[in-house]
Amino acid sequence: MIPDWMNNVDLQPGHFSAGRHGKKGFIGKTIEGILGFLEEAFLSESYSKRPGLMQSLDPRVKLLSILAVVFAASMISDLKVLVAIYLLTLLITYLSKIGVGFFIKRVWLFIPIFAGIIAIPMIFNVFLPGDPLYTIIHLGAGAHLGPFSLPESIFITKQGTMAAVIFTMRVATCVSAVVLLFLTTPQQILFKSLRTVGVPKIYVLTLQMTYRYIFLLMEQVREMYIAKKARTIKSRGLIDDQKWVGGRIGYTLIRSLSMSEKVHMAMLSRGFSGEVHIMQEFKMSQRDYLAGAAAISISLVLVLISQDIIRV
Amino acid sequence: MATIFDLRNVSYSYVGKIDALKDITLKIDQGEQVSIIGSNGSGKSTLLAILDALVYPSSGEFYAFGNLISEDAFDSISDSEFRSYFRTKVGFVFQNSDIQLFSPTVYEEIAFGPLQLDLPVDEVKSRVEDVLEMMEIGKLRDRSPHTLSGGEKKKVSIATVLVNNPDVLLLDEPSAGLDPRTQLWLIELLQELGRAGKTVVTATHDLEIIDHISNRSIVMGEDHRIKMDRDSKSILSDYELLLSSNLVHEHTHLHGKLVHEHIHAHGQEHESHGHAHIGGQHNHDSVEK
Repeated sequence: MIPDWMNNVDLQPGHFSAGRHGKKGFIGKTIEGILGFLEEAFLSESYSKRPGLMQSLDPRVKLLSILAVVFAASMISDLKVLVAIYLLTLLITYLSKIGVGFFIKRVWLFIPIFAGIIAIPMIFNVFLPGDPLYTIIHLGAGAHLGPFSLPESIFITKQGTMAAVIFTMRVATCVSAVVLLFLTTPQQILFKSLRTVGVPKIYVLTLQMTYRYIFLLMEQVREMYIAKKARTIKSRGLIDDQKWVGGRIGYTLIRSLSMSEKVHMAMLSRGFSGEVHIMQEFKMSQRDYLAGAAAISISLVLVLISQDIIRV
Repeated sequence: MATIFDLRNVSYSYVGKIDALKDITLKIDQGEQVSIIGSNGSGKSTLLAILDALVYPSSGEFYAFGNLISEDAFDSISDSEFRSYFRTKVGFVFQNSDIQLFSPTVYEEIAFGPLQLDLPVDEVKSRVEDVLEMMEIGKLRDRSPHTLSGGEKKKVSIATVLVNNPDVLLLDEPSAGLDPRTQLWLIELLQELGRAGKTVVTATHDLEIIDHISNRSIVMGEDHRIKMDRDSKSILSDYELLLSSNLVHEHTHLHGKLVHEHIHAHGQEHESHGHAHIGGQHNHDSVEK
């Protein structure tokens, strides 16, 4: 059955150094990064099962409360109040049996990316006029940058710094509240609770299915990569690797399309007819009403503060 | 006995080009246990998809429960009485469990079917509990499908279909990838369902289970036509038929109910032990399939 050349067996012993041979390829790093992120997302589900304060509340109450707090916090422009709300989220984090250190790190990891880029220009007098806090460079009168005229000196302004700090703090507070919600609620229950704020059933189902199949497709991507690695005898150039990635992206898309078609068939087969029915198993207890009322009252007070109706 | 499925000269081709089924005429009666056997690509899965009204014949007619199945009645958005009836009566276990398991947890997966059929929530819950217990998968209830093993996925897939209590069960390669113990469990389950009066149609190329789960076998040829439609026992003993349908290799031996293969070294050994022995003692190495 086998051709002649396959009858050759060459088992010469070889000695190769096991030292470093340079950096890891970009594909491996990217795939590991994405998988790592997904695994962490999956791992953080374990926080939602701890017996803490937030975990014990009805997801609908949590969702509505967090939304109310986020709305109120985004209206507040007093730093002291913002810091107070931020500290409150930390307290709730602690009561929800989540490591406060871990929580702070998780939130502040994203803040520089989202808020920093927007806030940094604010502190310079080039963009927002104000009183000098720290002079960076003195340019003299009539300085130009191309067609733009520059002020005499460039400095960091007091007002700008304050505005940037408030802005960042506001983002941090809102992100903390949302991260708290995500950490203490299993993803799937969170999706379901979206129904309470009027998200249609079909979107909730789609969201759930997306979450489910991301893992599956990711696993397929990893398998493709491992299969490639297993057959890679000579490492290839960056361009070749990029071509491979492009091809695989297309292939994954085609596979996911054909899979979605089959999933649809599987749903049809079990009686799905366009109008989806899902089970909603939420029970409100007294503490849920209490927590919801507390969150909404705090938010209301915050809004009144922001409108200067209550003074602090 | 009432006829459940009635296919008359049904052909099917994908994108109008790739033939999957050619001129299939067959009837399946209530309470029958039928195996559809054939090599890879012979059209078994397509035949099942047609039987479950998921795809429609390119030509020919398909009747289920005495009603003509048409794309108009099944693919319309508005509710169709016959469609609801059909979906309640017929259950389909897909070959790839990952396709069938799209819900966040095992519990919700099993509850999906009865919820679509508009059963009251209390009944849905009690049915799900019963099925979890019957399939011995209670401990998996809150697990996410992607964390299950292959065997567990298959069990959950079957549970999601049985919970609708269909009278007709279609299974696509149900034993593929299962360990021997789970395979045996599956055979016993299908036998029990058969005794309960369910109609069970299984597409498979696992010759070992055919005799246990069906009394009638339909052999699909590589030309996508029905090659033979007879009782399972006589089909399994027709070595020439199985060989010509590419279901067995010339080194496969059938010993009564047991199918097995011998690993041969090429050359003289090959000649010496021949392939004619059916039954009897063997003293050479064998690999049980």
